[in-house]
Amino acid sequence: MNASQIVEAVLFASDAPLKAEEIARADESLDEDRVEEAVRELRVFYDETERSFQIVEVAEGYQILTRPEFSSYLERFDTVPRPSRLSGPALETLAIIAYRQPIGRVEVEYIRGVGSAGVIRSLQDRGLVDVVGRAEGLGRPLLYGTSARFLEHFGFGSLDDLPRPEELPVVLRERVPLLPEGEQEDGGAEPGVAAGAEAAQLDLPDG
Amino acid sequence: MAAPETGAGLFGEKAGFWVVEIDRFQGPLDLLLHLIRVQDVDVFDIPIARITDQFLRAVKEIHATQLDSAGEFLEMAATLVRIKAQMLLPRYGDDEEADPRAELVRRLLEYEQIREISARLQTAEAERGRRFGKGYVEARPRPTLEDTPLETGWEEVMEAALAVEMPDPRDVEHRVRVRPVAMETKVALILDALGRATRVEFSRLLRGVEGLQARMHGVMTFLASLELTRRRAVYLRQVNPFSELWIYRRDPETEGAADESAGATDDAAEATDDAGGDRPETTTQESP
Repeated sequence: MNASQIVEAVLFASDAPLKAEEIARADESLDEDRVEEAVRELRVFYDETERSFQIVEVAEGYQILTRPEFSSYLERFDTVPRPSRLSGPALETLAIIAYRQPIGRVEVEYIRGVGSAGVIRSLQDRGLVDVVGRAEGLGRPLLYGTSARFLEHFGFGSLDDLPRPEELPVVLRERVPLLPEGEQEDGGAEPGVAAGAEAAQLDLPDG
Repeated sequence: MAAPETGAGLFGEKAGFWVVEIDRFQGPLDLLLHLIRVQDVDVFDIPIARITDQFLRAVKEIHATQLDSAGEFLEMAATLVRIKAQMLLPRYGDDEEADPRAELVRRLLEYEQIREISARLQTAEAERGRRFGKGYVEARPRPTLEDTPLETGWEEVMEAALAVEMPDPRDVEHRVRVRPVAMETKVALILDALGRATRVEFSRLLRGVEGLQARMHGVMTFLASLELTRRRAVYLRQVNPFSELWIYRRDPETEGAADESAGATDDAAEATDDAGGDRPETTTQESP
Protein backbone atom coordinates (compact mmCIF):
# COMPACT_ATOMS: atom_id res chain seq x y z
CA MET A 1 0.00 0.00 0.00
CA ASN A 2 1.72 3.17 -1.07
CA ALA A 3 0.83 6.73 -0.14
CA SER A 4 -0.82 7.51 -3.47
CA GLN A 5 -3.12 4.55 -3.15
CA ILE A 6 -4.17 5.52 0.36
CA VAL A 7 -4.81 9.13 -0.66
CA GLU A 8 -6.76 7.94 -3.67
CA ALA A 9 -8.89 5.63 -1.54
CA VAL A 10 -9.72 8.42 0.89
CA LEU A 11 -10.58 10.89 -1.87
CA PHE A 12 -12.58 8.27 -3.71
CA ALA A 13 -14.70 7.51 -0.69
CA SER A 14 -15.44 11.13 0.13
CA ASP A 15 -18.26 13.16 -1.35
CA ALA A 16 -16.92 16.48 -0.06
CA PRO A 17 -13.57 18.24 -0.34
CA LEU A 18 -10.94 17.06 2.16
CA LYS A 19 -8.01 19.13 3.39
CA ALA A 20 -4.54 17.63 3.12
CA GLU A 21 -4.30 17.42 6.90
CA GLU A 22 -7.57 15.51 7.01
CA ILE A 23 -6.38 13.03 4.40
CA ALA A 24 -3.14 12.58 6.35
CA ARG A 25 -5.14 11.18 9.26
CA ALA A 26 -5.68 8.01 7.22
CA ASP A 27 -2.25 6.62 8.01
CA GLU A 28 0.74 7.31 10.28
CA SER A 29 3.06 7.33 7.28
CA LEU A 30 1.28 10.39 5.88
CA ASP A 31 1.72 14.07 6.55
CA GLU A 32 0.51 17.10 4.63
CA ASP A 33 3.55 17.18 2.38
CA ARG A 34 3.26 13.50 1.55
CA VAL A 35 -0.42 13.94 0.78
CA GLU A 36 0.25 16.85 -1.56
CA GLU A 37 2.98 14.88 -3.26
CA ALA A 38 0.61 11.94 -3.67
CA VAL A 39 -2.04 14.24 -5.13
CA ARG A 40 0.48 15.50 -7.68
CA GLU A 41 1.40 11.92 -8.63
CA LEU A 42 -2.23 10.92 -8.94
CA ARG A 43 -2.99 13.95 -11.11
CA VAL A 44 -0.20 13.03 -13.53
CA PHE A 45 -1.40 9.44 -13.57
CA TYR A 46 -5.03 10.42 -14.21
CA ASP A 47 -3.98 12.72 -17.04
CA GLU A 48 -1.79 10.08 -18.65
CA THR A 49 -4.48 7.44 -18.45
CA GLU A 50 -7.17 9.89 -19.59
CA ARG A 51 -9.45 9.37 -16.63
CA SER A 52 -12.88 11.02 -16.79
CA PHE A 53 -12.25 12.58 -13.38
CA GLN A 54 -9.66 14.84 -11.80
CA ILE A 55 -8.51 15.83 -8.36
CA VAL A 56 -9.68 19.42 -8.04
CA GLU A 57 -8.69 21.93 -5.39
CA VAL A 58 -11.91 23.08 -3.80
CA ALA A 59 -12.46 25.08 -0.63
CA GLU A 60 -8.88 24.63 0.55
CA GLY A 61 -9.13 20.89 0.10
CA TYR A 62 -9.14 18.22 -2.57
CA GLN A 63 -12.06 16.49 -4.20
CA ILE A 64 -12.42 14.01 -7.03
CA LEU A 65 -14.74 15.55 -9.61
CA THR A 66 -15.61 14.54 -13.12
CA ARG A 67 -14.11 16.52 -15.98
CA PRO A 68 -16.46 19.19 -17.29
CA GLU A 69 -16.59 17.60 -20.75
CA PHE A 70 -18.58 14.68 -19.33
CA SER A 71 -21.36 16.86 -17.98
CA SER A 72 -23.74 16.08 -20.82
CA TYR A 73 -23.77 12.40 -19.88
CA LEU A 74 -24.26 13.05 -16.20
CA GLU A 75 -26.96 15.65 -16.68
CA ARG A 76 -29.26 12.88 -17.84
CA PHE A 77 -29.38 11.70 -14.25
CA ASP A 78 -31.26 14.13 -12.15
CA THR A 79 -31.75 12.02 -9.10
CA VAL A 80 -29.71 14.35 -6.93
CA PRO A 81 -30.70 18.00 -7.08
CA ARG A 82 -27.84 20.22 -8.06
CA PRO A 83 -27.35 23.53 -6.33
CA SER A 84 -29.43 26.04 -8.20
CA ARG A 85 -27.91 29.04 -9.92
CA LEU A 86 -27.81 32.23 -7.93
CA SER A 87 -29.78 35.27 -9.01
CA GLY A 88 -28.22 38.53 -10.21
CA PRO A 89 -28.75 40.36 -6.94
CA ALA A 90 -27.41 37.37 -5.00
CA LEU A 91 -24.23 37.26 -7.12
CA GLU A 92 -23.79 41.02 -6.81
CA THR A 93 -24.13 40.87 -3.03
CA LEU A 94 -21.79 37.89 -2.80
CA ALA A 95 -19.21 39.70 -4.92
CA ILE A 96 -19.26 42.65 -2.56
CA ILE A 97 -19.06 40.48 0.55
CA ALA A 98 -16.30 38.33 -0.93
CA TYR A 99 -14.07 41.29 -1.71
CA ARG A 100 -14.82 43.46 1.28
CA GLN A 101 -15.24 40.98 4.08
CA PRO A 102 -15.86 41.56 6.90
CA ILE A 103 -18.56 43.96 5.81
CA GLY A 104 -21.85 45.19 7.25
CA ARG A 105 -25.23 45.26 5.59
CA VAL A 106 -25.36 49.06 5.33
CA GLU A 107 -22.09 49.15 3.40
CA VAL A 108 -23.33 46.47 1.02
CA GLU A 109 -26.49 48.50 0.44
CA TYR A 110 -24.54 51.67 -0.21
CA ILE A 111 -22.44 49.96 -2.86
CA ARG A 112 -25.46 48.32 -4.53
CA GLY A 113 -27.73 51.32 -4.11
CA VAL A 114 -30.60 49.06 -3.03
CA GLY A 115 -31.79 47.38 0.15
CA SER A 116 -30.09 44.04 0.61
CA ALA A 117 -31.34 42.58 3.89
CA GLY A 118 -33.40 39.89 2.13
CA VAL A 119 -30.61 38.87 -0.21
CA ILE A 120 -28.11 38.63 2.62
CA ARG A 121 -30.52 36.52 4.64
CA SER A 122 -31.07 34.09 1.79
CA LEU A 123 -27.31 33.85 1.23
CA GLN A 124 -26.99 33.04 4.93
CA ASP A 125 -29.71 30.41 4.63
CA ARG A 126 -27.82 28.81 1.79
CA GLY A 127 -24.69 28.80 3.93
CA LEU A 128 -22.75 30.90 1.44
CA VAL A 129 -22.33 33.78 3.86
CA ASP A 130 -21.70 33.73 7.60
CA VAL A 131 -21.74 36.30 10.34
CA VAL A 132 -18.07 36.73 11.16
CA GLY A 133 -18.24 39.39 13.83
CA ARG A 134 -19.63 42.71 14.88
CA ALA A 135 -18.42 46.15 13.95
CA GLU A 136 -17.53 48.79 16.48
CA GLY A 137 -19.85 51.72 16.70
CA LEU A 138 -23.51 52.38 17.03
CA GLY A 139 -25.61 49.23 17.39
CA ARG A 140 -22.54 47.07 16.75
CA PRO A 141 -23.84 45.90 13.35
CA LEU A 142 -23.21 42.34 12.19
CA LEU A 143 -20.34 41.78 9.82
CA TYR A 144 -20.56 39.21 7.06
CA GLY A 145 -17.97 37.07 5.32
CA THR A 146 -17.96 34.21 2.86
CA SER A 147 -17.98 30.57 3.99
CA ALA A 148 -16.25 27.39 2.83
CA ARG A 149 -19.53 26.59 1.09
CA PHE A 150 -19.04 29.73 -0.99
CA LEU A 151 -15.73 28.37 -2.26
CA GLU A 152 -17.34 25.02 -2.98
CA HIS A 153 -20.24 26.58 -4.83
CA PHE A 154 -17.97 28.40 -7.25
CA GLY A 155 -15.28 25.72 -7.33
CA PHE A 156 -12.63 28.00 -5.86
CA GLY A 157 -9.62 26.54 -4.09
CA SER A 158 -9.39 29.61 -1.87
CA LEU A 159 -10.24 33.32 -1.91
CA ASP A 160 -7.08 33.83 -3.98
CA ASP A 161 -8.97 32.27 -6.89
CA LEU A 162 -11.35 35.22 -7.00
CA PRO A 163 -10.76 37.38 -10.06
CA ARG A 164 -8.37 40.18 -9.16
CA PRO A 165 -9.61 43.70 -9.71
CA GLU A 166 -6.61 44.53 -11.87
CA GLU A 167 -7.54 41.68 -14.22
CA LEU A 168 -10.93 43.15 -14.89
CA PRO A 169 -11.29 44.67 -18.34
CA VAL A 170 -13.78 47.38 -17.47
CA VAL A 171 -13.61 50.53 -15.44
CA LEU A 172 -10.89 52.06 -13.39
CA ARG A 173 -8.99 52.86 -16.54
CA GLU A 174 -7.22 55.28 -14.31
CA ARG A 175 -7.68 56.10 -10.73
CA VAL A 176 -8.39 59.75 -10.48
CA PRO A 177 -8.20 61.38 -7.12
CA LEU A 178 -11.76 61.73 -6.03
CA LEU A 179 -12.94 62.91 -2.69
CA PRO A 180 -10.39 62.98 0.06
CA GLU A 181 -11.53 61.79 3.46
CA GLY A 182 -13.70 64.19 5.38
CA GLU A 183 -14.76 66.00 2.24
CA GLN A 184 -17.95 64.08 1.65
CA GLU A 185 -20.40 65.89 -0.52
CA ASP A 186 -23.28 63.75 0.55
CA GLY A 187 -25.18 65.27 3.40
CA GLY A 188 -27.86 63.23 5.08
CA ALA A 189 -29.22 62.04 1.77
CA GLU A 190 -27.61 58.63 1.77
CA PRO A 191 -27.32 56.44 4.79
CA GLY A 192 -24.01 54.73 5.27
CA VAL A 193 -21.97 57.38 3.58
CA ALA A 194 -19.10 56.99 5.98
CA ALA A 195 -19.02 53.25 5.51
CA GLY A 196 -19.06 53.63 1.74
CA ALA A 197 -16.22 56.07 1.80
CA GLU A 198 -14.10 53.67 3.80
CA ALA A 199 -14.76 51.02 1.24
CA ALA A 200 -13.73 53.25 -1.62
CA GLN A 201 -10.86 51.04 -2.67
CA LEU A 202 -11.73 47.61 -3.92
CA ASP A 203 -9.23 45.47 -2.08
CA LEU A 204 -8.67 41.79 -2.15
CA PRO A 205 -9.12 40.19 1.22
CA ASP A 206 -5.97 39.04 2.95
CA GLY A 207 -4.98 35.45 2.44
CA MET B 1 -29.05 76.67 -17.39
CA ALA B 2 -25.29 76.84 -17.14
CA ALA B 3 -22.82 76.13 -19.90
CA PRO B 4 -22.60 72.32 -19.74
CA GLU B 5 -26.36 72.05 -20.01
CA THR B 6 -26.84 73.87 -23.32
CA GLY B 7 -27.17 70.62 -25.19
CA ALA B 8 -29.95 69.37 -22.99
CA GLY B 9 -32.84 70.76 -24.99
CA LEU B 10 -31.45 69.35 -28.20
CA PHE B 11 -31.02 66.03 -26.59
CA GLY B 12 -34.57 66.17 -25.36
CA GLU B 13 -35.70 65.42 -28.91
CA LYS B 14 -33.50 62.41 -29.12
CA ALA B 15 -34.28 61.43 -25.59
CA GLY B 16 -37.68 60.30 -26.77
CA PHE B 17 -35.95 57.19 -27.97
CA TRP B 18 -34.74 56.23 -24.58
CA VAL B 19 -37.61 54.13 -23.53
CA VAL B 20 -36.41 52.83 -20.22
CA GLU B 21 -38.15 49.95 -18.57
CA ILE B 22 -37.51 50.48 -14.94
CA ASP B 23 -38.25 46.86 -14.04
CA ARG B 24 -35.21 45.75 -15.96
CA PHE B 25 -32.88 47.48 -13.56
CA GLN B 26 -31.70 46.15 -10.27
CA GLY B 27 -31.47 49.59 -8.74
CA PRO B 28 -30.72 53.24 -9.32
CA LEU B 29 -27.02 52.65 -9.93
CA ASP B 30 -27.82 50.04 -12.53
CA LEU B 31 -30.12 52.47 -14.34
CA LEU B 32 -27.65 55.33 -14.11
CA LEU B 33 -24.85 53.17 -15.42
CA HIS B 34 -27.05 52.07 -18.28
CA LEU B 35 -27.85 55.66 -19.24
CA ILE B 36 -24.18 56.55 -19.16
CA ARG B 37 -22.89 53.51 -21.01
CA VAL B 38 -25.56 53.40 -23.69
CA GLN B 39 -24.82 56.99 -24.67
CA ASP B 40 -21.08 56.49 -24.40
CA VAL B 41 -20.71 59.30 -21.96
CA ASP B 42 -17.40 59.90 -20.21
CA VAL B 43 -17.95 58.73 -16.66
CA PHE B 44 -15.48 61.28 -15.39
CA ASP B 45 -17.37 64.12 -17.02
CA ILE B 46 -21.03 63.18 -16.70
CA PRO B 47 -23.40 65.71 -18.29
CA ILE B 48 -25.34 65.82 -15.10
CA ALA B 49 -28.34 67.85 -16.32
CA ARG B 50 -29.02 65.55 -19.24
CA ILE B 51 -28.57 62.37 -17.25
CA THR B 52 -30.69 63.73 -14.43
CA ASP B 53 -33.53 64.53 -16.83
CA GLN B 54 -33.41 61.06 -18.33
CA PHE B 55 -33.23 59.48 -14.93
CA LEU B 56 -36.25 61.42 -13.68
CA ARG B 57 -38.21 60.50 -16.78
CA ALA B 58 -37.50 56.83 -16.14
CA VAL B 59 -38.39 57.13 -12.48
CA LYS B 60 -41.77 58.58 -13.39
CA GLU B 61 -42.66 55.19 -14.81
CA ILE B 62 -42.48 53.56 -11.43
CA HIS B 63 -45.95 52.64 -10.37
CA ALA B 64 -47.36 53.28 -6.97
CA THR B 65 -47.38 49.53 -6.44
CA GLN B 66 -43.61 49.40 -6.55
CA LEU B 67 -43.06 51.92 -3.79
CA ASP B 68 -40.47 49.68 -2.20
CA SER B 69 -37.98 50.10 -4.99
CA ALA B 70 -39.25 53.57 -5.82
CA GLY B 71 -37.65 54.92 -2.66
CA GLU B 72 -34.21 53.88 -3.81
CA PHE B 73 -34.69 55.46 -7.22
CA LEU B 74 -36.10 58.65 -5.73
CA GLU B 75 -33.19 58.92 -3.36
CA MET B 76 -30.81 58.79 -6.32
CA ALA B 77 -32.97 61.30 -8.16
CA ALA B 78 -32.63 63.65 -5.21
CA THR B 79 -28.87 63.20 -5.21
CA LEU B 80 -28.72 63.95 -8.92
CA VAL B 81 -30.82 67.06 -8.58
CA ARG B 82 -28.64 68.26 -5.73
CA ILE B 83 -25.48 67.68 -7.73
CA LYS B 84 -27.05 69.47 -10.66
CA ALA B 85 -27.80 72.44 -8.42
CA GLN B 86 -24.29 72.41 -7.02
CA MET B 87 -22.88 72.43 -10.54
CA LEU B 88 -24.69 75.70 -11.17
CA LEU B 89 -23.17 77.38 -8.16
CA PRO B 90 -19.89 79.17 -8.70
CA ARG B 91 -16.98 77.12 -7.44
CA TYR B 92 -14.02 78.65 -5.77
CA GLY B 93 -10.83 77.36 -7.21
CA ASP B 94 -11.11 74.66 -9.81
CA ASP B 95 -9.48 71.71 -8.14
CA GLU B 96 -11.19 68.43 -8.96
CA GLU B 97 -11.81 67.64 -5.35
CA ALA B 98 -14.56 70.18 -5.35
CA ASP B 99 -16.43 68.48 -8.18
CA PRO B 100 -19.82 67.63 -6.72
CA ARG B 101 -20.02 64.62 -9.05
CA ALA B 102 -16.93 62.97 -7.61
CA GLU B 103 -18.58 60.70 -5.05
CA LEU B 104 -21.21 59.64 -7.57
CA VAL B 105 -18.53 58.78 -10.10
CA ARG B 106 -16.68 56.77 -7.52
CA ARG B 107 -19.83 54.83 -6.66
CA LEU B 108 -20.65 54.19 -10.30
CA LEU B 109 -17.22 52.84 -11.08
CA GLU B 110 -17.25 50.72 -7.99
CA TYR B 111 -20.66 49.36 -8.89
CA GLU B 112 -19.59 48.60 -12.42
CA GLN B 113 -16.64 46.70 -11.09
CA ILE B 114 -18.91 44.70 -8.79
CA ARG B 115 -21.08 43.91 -11.79
CA GLU B 116 -18.08 42.62 -13.67
CA ILE B 117 -17.07 40.46 -10.73
CA SER B 118 -20.63 39.12 -10.50
CA ALA B 119 -20.39 38.07 -14.13
CA ARG B 120 -17.11 36.29 -13.39
CA LEU B 121 -18.68 34.53 -10.42
CA GLN B 122 -21.52 33.42 -12.63
CA THR B 123 -19.06 31.92 -15.08
CA ALA B 124 -17.25 30.13 -12.26
CA GLU B 125 -20.57 28.84 -10.95
CA ALA B 126 -21.52 27.47 -14.35
CA GLU B 127 -18.10 25.86 -14.74
CA ARG B 128 -18.36 24.21 -11.32
CA GLY B 129 -21.85 23.03 -12.24
CA ARG B 130 -20.39 20.94 -15.03
CA ARG B 131 -18.31 18.85 -12.65
CA PHE B 132 -19.81 16.19 -10.47
CA GLY B 133 -18.58 14.62 -7.29
CA LYS B 134 -19.29 11.23 -5.91
CA GLY B 135 -22.90 10.54 -5.08
CA TYR B 136 -24.32 12.57 -7.90
CA VAL B 137 -25.99 9.58 -9.49
CA GLU B 138 -28.07 7.83 -6.91
CA ALA B 139 -27.91 4.07 -6.69
CA ARG B 140 -31.62 3.59 -7.09
CA PRO B 141 -34.09 6.21 -8.13
CA ARG B 142 -36.57 6.74 -5.35
CA PRO B 143 -40.13 7.56 -6.13
CA THR B 144 -40.80 11.08 -5.04
CA LEU B 145 -44.09 11.76 -3.38
CA GLU B 146 -44.71 15.36 -4.08
CA ASP B 147 -47.72 17.52 -3.99
CA THR B 148 -47.66 18.53 -7.60
CA PRO B 149 -50.22 21.04 -8.76
CA LEU B 150 -52.31 20.04 -11.73
CA GLU B 151 -51.02 21.82 -14.79
CA THR B 152 -53.00 20.05 -17.44
CA GLY B 153 -55.24 22.12 -19.61
CA TRP B 154 -58.62 21.04 -20.89
CA GLU B 155 -57.30 20.60 -24.42
CA GLU B 156 -54.67 18.19 -23.19
CA VAL B 157 -57.25 16.16 -21.31
CA MET B 158 -59.40 16.06 -24.42
CA GLU B 159 -56.45 15.03 -26.55
CA ALA B 160 -55.50 12.28 -24.13
CA ALA B 161 -59.07 11.07 -23.99
CA LEU B 162 -59.27 10.89 -27.76
CA ALA B 163 -55.96 9.03 -27.92
CA VAL B 164 -57.14 6.29 -25.61
CA GLU B 165 -58.05 3.16 -27.48
CA MET B 166 -61.14 1.60 -26.11
CA PRO B 167 -60.56 -2.05 -25.25
CA ASP B 168 -62.90 -4.56 -26.74
CA PRO B 169 -65.44 -5.18 -24.00
CA ARG B 170 -65.59 -8.85 -24.95
CA ASP B 171 -61.91 -9.27 -23.95
CA VAL B 172 -62.40 -7.92 -20.49
CA GLU B 173 -63.29 -10.39 -17.87
CA HIS B 174 -65.55 -8.72 -15.41
CA ARG B 175 -65.06 -9.81 -11.90
CA VAL B 176 -67.60 -9.01 -9.28
CA ARG B 177 -66.30 -8.53 -5.81
CA VAL B 178 -68.39 -8.24 -2.76
CA ARG B 179 -67.74 -5.02 -0.90
CA PRO B 180 -67.42 -5.56 2.80
CA VAL B 181 -68.67 -2.04 3.37
CA ALA B 182 -71.71 -0.86 1.49
CA MET B 183 -71.76 2.63 0.13
CA GLU B 184 -75.44 3.04 0.85
CA THR B 185 -74.68 2.54 4.53
CA LYS B 186 -72.25 5.43 4.34
CA VAL B 187 -74.72 7.53 2.41
CA ALA B 188 -77.19 6.98 5.19
CA LEU B 189 -74.55 7.80 7.78
CA ILE B 190 -73.74 11.12 6.10
CA LEU B 191 -77.38 12.05 5.67
CA ASP B 192 -78.03 11.15 9.27
CA ALA B 193 -75.15 13.34 10.45
CA LEU B 194 -76.33 16.20 8.25
CA GLY B 195 -79.83 15.83 9.60
CA ARG B 196 -78.52 17.06 12.92
CA ALA B 197 -76.02 19.68 11.70
CA THR B 198 -75.48 21.70 8.54
CA ARG B 199 -71.95 20.38 8.13
CA VAL B 200 -69.77 17.55 9.32
CA GLU B 201 -66.07 16.75 9.23
CA PHE B 202 -65.09 13.80 7.13
CA SER B 203 -62.89 12.44 9.89
CA ARG B 204 -65.80 12.52 12.34
CA LEU B 205 -67.64 10.03 10.14
CA LEU B 206 -64.75 7.60 10.50
CA ARG B 207 -64.48 7.89 14.24
CA GLY B 208 -64.36 4.55 15.97
CA VAL B 209 -63.49 2.65 12.78
CA GLU B 210 -60.29 0.71 13.23
CA GLY B 211 -58.40 -2.28 12.03
CA LEU B 212 -58.17 -3.84 8.60
CA GLN B 213 -61.46 -2.41 7.42
CA ALA B 214 -60.55 1.19 8.25
CA ARG B 215 -59.20 1.84 4.80
CA MET B 216 -62.29 0.48 3.10
CA HIS B 217 -64.51 2.51 5.40
CA GLY B 218 -62.57 5.63 4.43
CA VAL B 219 -62.90 4.87 0.72
CA MET B 220 -66.59 4.11 0.95
CA THR B 221 -67.35 7.18 3.05
CA PHE B 222 -65.53 9.30 0.52
CA LEU B 223 -67.39 7.68 -2.36
CA ALA B 224 -70.64 8.15 -0.54
CA SER B 225 -69.93 11.84 -0.12
CA LEU B 226 -69.02 12.08 -3.80
CA GLU B 227 -72.23 10.31 -4.69
CA LEU B 228 -74.22 12.70 -2.52
CA THR B 229 -72.43 15.60 -4.18
CA ARG B 230 -73.52 14.22 -7.53
CA ARG B 231 -77.06 13.95 -6.24
CA ARG B 232 -76.69 17.57 -5.14
CA ALA B 233 -77.54 16.64 -1.62
CA VAL B 234 -74.24 17.85 -0.19
CA TYR B 235 -71.16 19.75 -1.22
CA LEU B 236 -67.56 19.27 -0.10
CA ARG B 237 -65.12 21.88 0.97
CA GLN B 238 -61.42 21.68 1.77
CA VAL B 239 -59.19 24.67 2.41
CA ASN B 240 -55.82 23.06 1.77
CA PRO B 241 -54.62 19.72 0.46
CA PHE B 242 -54.57 17.17 3.31
CA SER B 243 -56.54 19.47 5.57
CA GLU B 244 -59.90 18.53 7.00
CA LEU B 245 -62.63 17.81 4.47
CA TRP B 246 -66.04 19.25 5.36
CA ILE B 247 -69.33 17.92 4.10
CA TYR B 248 -72.06 20.56 3.89
CA ARG B 249 -75.77 20.06 3.58
CA ARG B 250 -77.24 21.56 0.43
CA ASP B 251 -80.36 23.65 0.54
CA PRO B 252 -83.38 21.85 -0.89
CA GLU B 253 -84.06 24.61 -3.45
CA THR B 254 -81.36 23.18 -5.69
CA GLU B 255 -82.84 19.76 -6.32
CA GLY B 256 -83.57 17.99 -9.54
CA ALA B 257 -80.50 15.90 -10.20
CA ALA B 258 -81.19 13.31 -7.56
CA ASP B 259 -83.01 10.94 -9.90
CA GLU B 260 -79.94 9.14 -11.18
CA SER B 261 -78.95 5.82 -9.78
CA ALA B 262 -75.80 5.14 -7.83
CA GLY B 263 -74.45 2.50 -10.20
CA ALA B 264 -72.20 4.85 -12.16
CA THR B 265 -69.62 5.19 -9.42
CA ASP B 266 -68.49 1.55 -9.53
CA ASP B 267 -65.58 2.20 -11.91
CA ALA B 268 -64.46 5.13 -9.85
CA ALA B 269 -64.50 2.93 -6.79
CA GLU B 270 -61.95 0.59 -8.35
CA ALA B 271 -59.70 3.45 -9.34
CA THR B 272 -59.75 5.14 -5.95
CA ASP B 273 -59.06 1.85 -4.25
CA ASP B 274 -55.87 1.36 -6.24
CA ALA B 275 -54.63 4.89 -5.91
CA GLY B 276 -54.40 4.98 -2.17
CA GLY B 277 -57.87 5.20 -0.83
CA ASP B 278 -56.57 5.84 2.66
CA ARG B 279 -56.05 9.49 1.79
CA PRO B 280 -59.35 10.52 0.31
CA GLU B 281 -58.71 14.14 1.30
CA THR B 282 -56.40 14.66 -1.63
CA THR B 283 -59.31 15.40 -3.88
CA THR B 284 -60.93 18.74 -3.44
CA GLN B 285 -64.53 18.89 -4.37
CA GLU B 286 -66.59 21.98 -4.55
CA SER B 287 -70.08 22.51 -5.59
CA PRO B 288 -70.43 24.09 -9.00
